[in-house]
Amino acid sequence: MGMTAVIDAMIYFFVATTVVGIIRVLIGPTTADRMTGLNLVSAQILAVLVLYAVREGRVAYLDVALVYDIFGFIGILAMARYFTKRAGPA
Amino acid sequence: MSARTWWTAVRLGITAAYLMAGWLLFTWDLGARSLLLGLFYCLLVAAISFPIFVEEHDAARRAHFPRVHVLGAYLLVLVYSMYVASFKVLWQIVRGRINPGVVHFRTRLRTDIARVALTSSITMTPGTITLLLDDDHLIVHWLDARTRHSRYAGSLIAGRFERLLRRVWA
Amino acid sequence: MNWVAIVFFALGVVFAVMGNLGVLIFPDVYTRLQASSTCATTSVFSVFIACMIVSGWTAMTGKIIVITLFFFLTNPISSHIIARYAWVSGIVPWRRSYGARTALREHYDD
Repeated sequence: MGMTAVIDAMIYFFVATTVVGIIRVLIGPTTADRMTGLNLVSAQILAVLVLYAVREGRVAYLDVALVYDIFGFIGILAMARYFTKRAGPA
Repeated sequence: MSARTWWTAVRLGITAAYLMAGWLLFTWDLGARSLLLGLFYCLLVAAISFPIFVEEHDAARRAHFPRVHVLGAYLLVLVYSMYVASFKVLWQIVRGRINPGVVHFRTRLRTDIARVALTSSITMTPGTITLLLDDDHLIVHWLDARTRHSRYAGSLIAGRFERLLRRVWA
Repeated sequence: MNWVAIVFFALGVVFAVMGNLGVLIFPDVYTRLQASSTCATTSVFSVFIACMIVSGWTAMTGKIIVITLFFFLTNPISSHIIARYAWVSGIVPWRRSYGARTALREHYDD
């Protein structure tokens, strides 16, 4: 029973709670609800990536987490812009 | 060299400096090759994007060089209030009685970046989300709306942040 | 075993569970965003702090600090953009007094 076991447990926990975000993406009544779910999933996957990098002890894995964060942010930005344009002048 | 040309060059320099800081943080490498490559791309991106990054009218010196020690204290205050607000939201989720409301108020901050920092701080503390920022007018969704009075709500939500932010920028 | 790290991991677990619960049961977009900011900000931040404590004073900690700063920069902005999109597209916020008062009682037997 060491720190590795705790980090493993945290990884499994975050993968499990991601399901809730996916459910919100699937059933969300409006587009904004689905985007909320996607934001939640993206944050939790970021936590999983950082935890995995710490568990393996490799700094290179953290770059993946950083780029993932950037792309999640740009994705939300692009989605909001696209749907706002399609809904007409706001 | 006219003042306008000089100001354009300074804007380009400020943008490139910020980009270079980001490059150094991301690569974590001080080799000559990495530095030269970073400098080249920073100047390239800065030449494309400096009219957006630094507005032409935004010429206050304090808007581009924040007081760093106050900024550090501000981050600590932000983390502390984030945890406090998280426990409040936790209690509301457990109890299942929420009283959301939308409040409007005005901020006294002058510079654009301070206003954006205030918006981000309000959104980051759980329990409050900025819906719209229009010059100095904020619309905030509040999970536990204790009051609808504009000025009182503003001091409850943003008072502590505003006092510190006025010392960081502006 | 590092007990401070364990405490921060526990905080992360608690906030993540309650935030996800809130995202599932809250009545409209804005309140769900509030719950998701509890989870997505505070819980993930606690996990980052715990990771810094676990990995000690190494290059990895510096990289995690960079990720944390960037996360502080991007996450509120993406939340704000979702909220602004919902507000601009005309979704009316849920209120306690508008007859939807029983929406939460179904889940809690108040």
